[in-house]
Formats: sequence, C-alpha cells, structure tokens
Amino acid sequence: MRPEVRAYPFDWMLWAALEHGSRAADGTPGELRHLYRYIPYFRGVLDPLLREGEPGILFIKLLSRYLRNILDAHRDGKKRAATTFCFLPGLLYALDVVPITLEIMSALGGLTWKRGMYDYLDYGCEVGFTETSCSSQRGALGAYLAGLAEPIDFVVCDSPGVCDTNANAFAFAAEYLGIPFYHLNYPQVIGEDRSQTYHREDYKALIAFVEEQSGRTLEEERLREILAEAEKQDGLLADLEDMHTLVPTPLPPIYNLFIYAGRFLFSGMPAYTELLEAMHARTRARAAAGKSGLRSGREKLRAFMCYIDHYTLNLRFWDWLDERGIAHMGSILSRTFRDYHGYAGALPEATYTLDLADRDTMIDSLAQMNARSPMVRSIRGPYDQPNMWLDETLAMARVFRADCLIYNGTPGCRNTWGMVKPFARETEASGYPTHIMNDDAFDDRVESWEATAERLEEFFAVRGLL
Amino acid sequence: MTNIFQEAAATVANPSIEAWKKAGRKVVGYTCSYVPGEIFQAAGILPVRLRGIGTTSLQIGDAFFGPYICSFPKCLLQLAGEGRFDFLHGAVITPGCDSMRRLDECWRKAGDDHPGIVPDFFYYFDVPHKTEPHGLAWFEEEIRRLIDAVATHFGTPITTAGLRDAIALFNRGRRLLARMEILRAADDNDISGTEAFAATVAGTVMPREDYTEALAHWLDEVEARQGERPPDKRKRLMVLGSISDDMDLIQMIEADGRVVVAAENLCFGVRFAGHDIDTDGDPVAALARGYLERSICPRMFGQYRQRLAAVLETVANARIDAVVLQNIRFCDLHGSENSLFERDLEARGIPCLQIEREYGPLVEKGRIRMRLDAFLEQIE
Repeated sequence: MRPEVRAYPFDWMLWAALEHGSRAADGTPGELRHLYRYIPYFRGVLDPLLREGEPGILFIKLLSRYLRNILDAHRDGKKRAATTFCFLPGLLYALDVVPITLEIMSALGGLTWKRGMYDYLDYGCEVGFTETSCSSQRGALGAYLAGLAEPIDFVVCDSPGVCDTNANAFAFAAEYLGIPFYHLNYPQVIGEDRSQTYHREDYKALIAFVEEQSGRTLEEERLREILAEAEKQDGLLADLEDMHTLVPTPLPPIYNLFIYAGRFLFSGMPAYTELLEAMHARTRARAAAGKSGLRSGREKLRAFMCYIDHYTLNLRFWDWLDERGIAHMGSILSRTFRDYHGYAGALPEATYTLDLADRDTMIDSLAQMNARSPMVRSIRGPYDQPNMWLDETLAMARVFRADCLIYNGTPGCRNTWGMVKPFARETEASGYPTHIMNDDAFDDRVESWEATAERLEEFFAVRGLL
Repeated sequence: MTNIFQEAAATVANPSIEAWKKAGRKVVGYTCSYVPGEIFQAAGILPVRLRGIGTTSLQIGDAFFGPYICSFPKCLLQLAGEGRFDFLHGAVITPGCDSMRRLDECWRKAGDDHPGIVPDFFYYFDVPHKTEPHGLAWFEEEIRRLIDAVATHFGTPITTAGLRDAIALFNRGRRLLARMEILRAADDNDISGTEAFAATVAGTVMPREDYTEALAHWLDEVEARQGERPPDKRKRLMVLGSISDDMDLIQMIEADGRVVVAAENLCFGVRFAGHDIDTDGDPVAALARGYLERSICPRMFGQYRQRLAAVLETVANARIDAVVLQNIRFCDLHGSENSLFERDLEARGIPCLQIEREYGPLVEKGRIRMRLDAFLEQIE
C-alpha cells in the first residue's frame, strides 16, 4: 500500500470528500466553476449530482451523513456492524447499531478517487483474500483489515446460500479481525412455506445475536417507527416504478443509483424518505409533461441492467448512458418487490408485505422483506427455477419495456458467471439482445472503462439498437 | 491389495462400476460430501462421487460456464458432455459452492446441445449453510425428500431397516479409515500418501461391501508388517485445501522420496474418518446430524476455529512437520481459508506452502514441482 494512502483513515477521507462536496451545493455558480478547477477527478462525481438539483444534493448529503454516523458511532455510544448491500439495515437502526455496508463504501471510493480502491483491493489480497475474490467487498475491507478506519464491532451478512464470495469475505473479515459473526442463510427456493419459516427462524436468531452484541433490546415501538417509514418508502417507490414504465421514462439514469444506494444505507429511516420525495416530485412533474428524464429529452433506447451497474472512476457510466439517449431501466438492485408494486403480479412468490400489528408480525415482515432484497431474492436458486433470475429479468424487461439487457458484474461473482452464458441464451431466445460485460464493476484495472464503453458501443451498433 | 484402490481411483468409469452395472444394478452420481451415500446403498443403488479426472479438453465446460469458474465443475461438465458419465442412471447436484451448484443449470442446458447427457433422475439437493436447529431441520427434510424421490423414481422402497444397515456398513468404512490414520501415524509407517489417498478416494466410487472388505483386508496386511521396518526418517507432510481427487498431486509431492504425505484434509479424503453416524433412533435424523454437524468445510461460514482445531489435532496425531495448502483457482472459500491456516499454523512453528492451481491434469507440474522443491529445502 502506498504510504500516502496509509497516511489518512479511509472512512474519514471518504466522508471529507463527500461532506465538502455536499457543501459546494450551497455556493454560487461562479464559486462552483472555480472549485471544479481544483477537483479534476471528483468533479466527475460532483457535477452530475449537483446538476440533478435537489435529489442529487440530498443524495450526496445522505452519503455524507451515513459516513459521519460511522465515524461518530462509538462517541455516540453505538456499535458498528459490517454488513452487505443485500442486508436491509432497519433492524440495525432499531438496535442503535451503525451499519457499514462494504459494497457501498467500495463503490464510493471507486467513484471518488483517481486510483479508485486499488491500494485497498490489493491489501486485501496481501492479507489473504484470493485475487479473484469479489472486489465489491475486498476494496473497503482492505482498508478495515489494514486498520485504516474506525473499528468494526461485529459482522452480519445474509449471503450464504446466495453468494459464496460475499459470505466468505465477511467470514474471513470476522476471523481476521477477531470479532463476532452471524450470517443469515437462504434456501434455494423462495416461495414455499418452509422457506418462509426458515427465513423467520433464522431472522429471530439474528435478532438475538444483534441484541447481544449491541447490548440493546428490540423495542416494539422503535421497530414500528422504522417499518412505518419503510411503508412510506415502499409507496413512493411504487409510484416511481410505475412512472418508470412510461415511454419516455421520466427518470434520469442516475435515479436508479439513488434508489438502491439510499435503500441499502437508510431503509426505514427518514433520510431516505426525504430523498425519495424529492425524486418523486420531479419525476411526477416530468411525467405529467410527458418529458424524458434524459438531458437531451430524447429517449432512443431502454436498457435493463440485469445484474449491477459500473462503479469505477466517477459517475461516467450513468452519464455515458444519458449522453447517448439510453434510458436506464433499473437493475437487480433497484427493485423493491413489495406485494403491490406494478410488477409483483408477475412474480407473486417473490414479494413481501409489511404487517405492523404486533412484534411478531413486524419481525416476520422484516425477515420476509430482507429475504426479498436484491440477489438473495433471485439468484439463490437455479436461474430457471420459478421466480428466479430468468423469470425476474424477463418480467422486468417486459414491464419496463426494455429494448435490450446488459449483464455487468465482477469476476468474483462465481454465482452469476457460473450461469450467465446459458441465461443469456434464453434471454436472447426470448427476444432481448443481451450483452455480457467482461469488466470489473469496482476495479478499472481489469478492463478500462474506455474498453468497456467501446464494447457497449459495438453491441449497440452490431445489434442495430442505436 | 492397493491395486484395487488405485484402479478404482484412476478412472471415472472404473471396473467395479462396470461390474455393478453388468449385474443390472443402478448407479447414481453425486457432487459433494454432504450427500448421504447411505440413501442409495439402502435402495440397492451404487452411489458414485463424480470426478473430473482424465479430462483433456474444456470446450464444453467453457461453453456453458463463465471464464472465472473453478476447473473442477468445468471438467465434470466436459466429461458429461462427452458422454463419459453415460453409466449414470441419476445425478444429484448440491450447493457445495457457487461454482458447483451452477453445474445444475449448465449440465441441464448442455443437454440441449448434447442430447442424452442428462440422466433421467437429475436432482437438486439443497444443503443449508448452518447447523443451528432450523438448519438441521431443513436438512433432515431435504434428506426425506431425496429418499422419496429416489424411491419413487427407481421404484425401490427405502426402509428404516435398510437405512440402518447402510449406516452400519458406512460406519465400518469410517472406522477402518480411522484405523488407517493410526497406522500412518506410526514410526514405522509404510503406507505412502498416494496409497492412502487412493484407498480413501476408492471409497467414494466402489460398491461399499467390496470396498469395506478390501480395506479391512489391506489394513490387516499392513498391521501384520508393523514392527518389521526401521523408523521412517522422512519429513511428514499434510495436504489441505480445496477439492482434489487426483493421485498425481500426492504422487508428485512424494516422488523423490524425501517426504511422505502422512495426513490430509481434503474433500475427497479422510476428513470424515472415525465419525460414526448414530445407528439408534430415526436413521434420517441421524444422517442429518451426522452429515451436517460434523461439517468441516469452509462452505459452512464462520466455523474456521472448529476447522483449525481439527487440523491441529491431525497435525499433532500424525506428527506433521509441514503443511501444503492447495486450492483450485477461483476457489475463494479454500483460498482465503488457506491464508488463515498459513497464519495460524506458521505461528505455531509449522511451515506452510500455499499453492493455487488448476484441477485436472497437472498442466502446471513444472511450476508446482519447483515451488515444492524450494519448500522442502526450507524445511530440511
């Protein structure tokens, strides 16, 4: 690891960049122009966010607040728990635990810094990760394993049975750092009663673990507050998703990132509701006027990302789509799967409901909601099993009227790389041109963004899509 | 006597499988050590653990799996696609790890391009990743479902008495393997690591009665020779890590006679030696407890300490001087666990060599040999 990277704590550095970036929103246009001259790399993050107006500003403030929470946790008498993007943090907030979502931290570093997370990624390998392990956890973990961040108190994840590399990263970190570890485990089928029972039993054991680690007891009223907020968020998301089906879609590409990043960090918390409300208001206005969310106002193509987005240097990926008139129709990350959402009818067993009647129903709601979070919902079983990846992708492509599908992931994703070829054959056979990207969403050294973009261009040209 | 084992371990469709089939009996392949072979034994079916040895191309494997996938399931798919698993009447796939569980889809879909390669009985067996009561209950239910599926498909009832007999037979084999480990730990041990490994792997592919009898007979012979040999002065190595069933690796380590592989902890190996399954009470519940709770695989996340304790126990019992930690490329589970083992074993004064390699023919023989030589020089 380069000495200059070792000189500052990772989490503080990230917070400092985003906090100061968020303050730039309060400046005059002249001040902003001036500032951009001094931040040639971070400008690629700040400019697209500020350009979005209130939602973009709220988003960067939300990120800054999240990082500040991590920094201040012990001072505020709270524990920190390392966790994963597919684990919804409501339970942790209910028990006054501050979540550290590693994939979001890796993505933020990758987006923000010129050399991304390279030093931390490599440090992870130095201390024992395989170089082919998933970069989404390894990046941020590298910093934590190097002692370059505020300490983690315990680890919770929910990827065993879904993603080995993810679960393994958390198990390794817990062992390496000598801290307690609990994992939720998902059976390969989502809809059966016995799967629901398994989710419930496992989640109850998780609550006991987090209570023990945090020294707090789960209070019914606190849980109800969080779920009531989640209820509100689900309603806003349902509206946004409905409007997303319009042609042209009134949602700009970057809104997809706001939707899922906000949910992973602050599901059930007012900060996320505020962000959704701002997005909702703008989207509604555009929808009423029949306007596209793209800057050009002209929607040429609708692409559904059937896995994840691309997070290396700056927000180029979303900007690139926007510049070409390509509407981003969401990804595996951005869908919520509440039972009344527009697409729920296509995949009834993949949905959840919220029942705030009493403690038991709320715990069950949380367990079933978590079991429907991205990845653990649709790649837990064989891709062609009912309600799994293929069903979900085709349903999304239909509902959101996608013209093509794009797979993007990381080389560490054994789970999807183990089946994406036959999967793509079937999506093609269903009439959707499908492109498999070969880059690493978190590490530009695997394939430069320029090469990735060229391959995308080639796909669109060869398939006559643009 | 070890010729029987070496013959069984050296080929995919070995002579004992051929003989079994000639007698008109069924064969079912499985992919993971969490599948209770006793179920098939009780149904009069030969359970055969699927192996990828003898693969000379990955054309079919690469056509369905992505590039970042372990070469073991790719080799299995390749052999399946080439029709070299034609002797199977059924196959059971488990979520041993992500790459292995995707063999389910890849094999089924390869059947579209290569008709006839998917056995009529093709079953997905969902093994949980935890041993807590709800995990155990799930696994027990999975075993009951598998029993029903096998009985229905093959029209063979699987009775409680049949399961008890099968457990007793498998237990006998487990105890014999434990006896082999004691013999290997002796000063005048004359069992090579290659012989021991062949004897262990053979147990996953031979008819159980024949195997148990041959193993008992061989161990009697070895025991009779005890005391006739001078103490073995060679360094004693242990091999750990991800899936490996090829004799070549162990043979290569022992090739120049400087060291003996005196113990291993490999998925195809003696990990389960001596771990009897209860023969009292409900045999299905006993199988669930036996196969899940004794789990010693990194797929059971968060149990590194238990695995380390098991390794340290073997290191002490077998008087191990050094450890070779191997993993197949793209195996994150064993790859990172090997790093933890290296940290913890080296801290206890046990030298370790970590090797990442490809499964199958030792295409990297030169590289591995060179690293082994350097390591052996170090420990000498």
